[in-house]
Amino acid sequence: MSYAEPSRKQRWLAGAAVLIVAALLAVELFFPESPVSEIVRIVDANYVRSVLRLAVPIAFAALGGIFAEKSGVINIGLEGLLIISAFTSIAVAGTISGGNPTQLQLWIGFFAAVLASVLFALLFAVVCIEFKADQIIAGLAVWLIALGVAPFASKVIWGQVNSPPVATLNNFDFVVFEANPPVVMMLISVPAAWWALNRTAFGRWIEASGENPKALDTVGVDVRKVRYSGVLLSGFFSGLGGAGLALGRVGQFIGGGETMISGRGWIGITAYLFGNYNPLGAFGASFLFASLDALQIRLQQLGYSIPSELIGIIPYVTVIVVLAFVGRTRIPDAAGDHYESGEE
Amino acid sequence: MSDSSGDGRDTPSDDSESWQDRADRALGRLVDASAAERILISFAALGLSVVVGALIVIVSGWVATCDSPFVALAGVGSFCYDPISVYRVMLVGAVWPPYNFAITLKETTLLLFTGLSVAVAFRAGMFNIGTQGQLLLGALGTALSVLWVAPFVPVSVLGGLLLIAIGLLVGALIGGLWGALPGALKAYADANEVITTIMLNFVATGIAFTLVSEVFKDPQSQTVQTRSIPAFAQLQAVFFDSTVFSTFALVGALALVGGVYWMLNGTSFGFDLRTSGVQPDAAEYGGVDSKRMMVSSMTVSGALAGLGGAVYVLMVASRWQTGIPSLGFDGITVSILAGNNPLGVIPAALLFGALKTGSLAIEFQLAVPKELVGVLRGLIILFIAMPEFFRMVGARLGLGDERRTVAADGGETGRANDGGSETDETTDGTTVGDEGGDER
Repeated sequence: MSYAEPSRKQRWLAGAAVLIVAALLAVELFFPESPVSEIVRIVDANYVRSVLRLAVPIAFAALGGIFAEKSGVINIGLEGLLIISAFTSIAVAGTISGGNPTQLQLWIGFFAAVLASVLFALLFAVVCIEFKADQIIAGLAVWLIALGVAPFASKVIWGQVNSPPVATLNNFDFVVFEANPPVVMMLISVPAAWWALNRTAFGRWIEASGENPKALDTVGVDVRKVRYSGVLLSGFFSGLGGAGLALGRVGQFIGGGETMISGRGWIGITAYLFGNYNPLGAFGASFLFASLDALQIRLQQLGYSIPSELIGIIPYVTVIVVLAFVGRTRIPDAAGDHYESGEE
Repeated sequence: MSDSSGDGRDTPSDDSESWQDRADRALGRLVDASAAERILISFAALGLSVVVGALIVIVSGWVATCDSPFVALAGVGSFCYDPISVYRVMLVGAVWPPYNFAITLKETTLLLFTGLSVAVAFRAGMFNIGTQGQLLLGALGTALSVLWVAPFVPVSVLGGLLLIAIGLLVGALIGGLWGALPGALKAYADANEVITTIMLNFVATGIAFTLVSEVFKDPQSQTVQTRSIPAFAQLQAVFFDSTVFSTFALVGALALVGGVYWMLNGTSFGFDLRTSGVQPDAAEYGGVDSKRMMVSSMTVSGALAGLGGAVYVLMVASRWQTGIPSLGFDGITVSILAGNNPLGVIPAALLFGALKTGSLAIEFQLAVPKELVGVLRGLIILFIAMPEFFRMVGARLGLGDERRTVAADGGETGRANDGGSETDETTDGTTVGDEGGDER
């Protein structure tokens, strides 16, 4: 837990990523016919759109992880929360509709999934805060429980680990463009999370709860409550991410192997480490990882036979390289520690 | 557990000697004190997992549809699965018929390797979640090396032994190298090993898949797998007429448990390893190069995982193929259940091996999904992570007064000393003790 200033490189990378995204979006939105759009033909509107869709689970997991860890509870169970919400969204939408959900039923499934994820995060919070569990081991347990429960329940409901396919959420139809609902939520959530963390009293409490809980306690704020809200927010955001993946893009729950989430929660963790606990930076990193994924899909479509598994390891390798060489992110001082209020 | 190994070093003649002596006594006391409560925690966690697992079985039986529910309540619905018979079938199915017992022993053998792997890293204060990746690459190394050497070796028992030896060696070597990587990243670049080992699992999967699908693929096969290793290079069954279990492998794995126990408790390397796990600063003060210790403990851990992969290839699969079971993650459960004690790994691996075989039986006989064992795996880890919970439950059950005194005692005399000596008889004896201790 050595102290290190957020490295300049890191800020630069995150900032550049955000700028590029913003510029591309602006070009794409306002000057679809412009030469710039032509120059970046490989990175065209569809490409950005698919990157944004691929970024949804990663970015939401990252946002959630930021709130939990900044408040002092390291939640490495984000992957499990994504699995739970992806499963619940499909299970609820499929079951209440008898297999062919309407848009309304999909949305019911969506919010049920967010609720399931929040409840699961609550369990994690109780275990960590009330019963003082080792956060790393408890987070691992959250992941492993989800990895067991979701395929188990899939078999109970559908007789196999994969669900039958269902429809996906309709795009919002704005005046000038159509947008995927989870993507819109992500684009709202990222600046909202940044604002909450940096411009509100709640954000300062979260910060203090992770850095110096004693000081927070001294000024009369309940550290437990702040940590609970941090963890519950991680459940909320992961819920949006998992349901957004399942209902916004895939339209199915796949429970084989590492499940359809296949490590996106872990990439989310590394995204926020990469972004140094800044929601904007974390989003930039998520966008970067998703763009690699999209590039690989695009190259395959164009007929280049690059094994997708090989491209698939790039985010993980990037993360290791970043962790080791670019910047040692500084985790909050009290993260991982239990806090017992002095009065008790 | 007789962990107070360094009793011999009792000549406080110079500084380092007396430091070692003191640290060793403290370490021994800590482990002795925590051994009893760790066993209690493990049993309590296991029991609670069984209860919660039963609830999940009941609820899922309510969701599932079936022809003959075991109980139907008016207004509530019908329940398809009877948890008691689920557990009964699970336990019986783990040992009977004999073929199932062979599968249980197969799982046990493999879990001994991965359980030991996680335990060794844990003891050194490192959390190796990368056992799965180390096992996967070790298995690939074994398969390829055996395939490569096999043509130059006579088809005989001796040739088979040679191939097996080469396979085990290469598996351990590759696993060890892959394990050394996160160790070095932690030691020299301060990269959190929890994150890097998880990442390296995905990287290992991607590399192995790509290598096999692009270079070493069996041309006869549709799926991504290597050619099969020759039959004479496979570990032979002895007592069981089984194609997946070899008594040699089990005996070897048990010998390895003894070896690791001796390494941890009888060698100076093991002493340094344990001290850096419990008291990194003290270890550093006592002259242990903590950076080198991180790398070497992770190398040993990875080598054990790689051996597990080698045995998987030589005994079970006879080739590398996609979809290697999650032995590495189960190894985490086994090690945590065993309190990270090498000897404890034996019953924990046996129990978990039995659960895995039993899960096949419940799916086959009762149509209860075998993934139930995955749920139990997670629950066990969750409950073991929260010793405080059992303490509170104990206090709530009316054993509170006794407990509070003990807890207060412990609080005052320091964490290492408040072991469960007075409270061992009951499950609530799972004192806070060393919750940080050697877990992290």
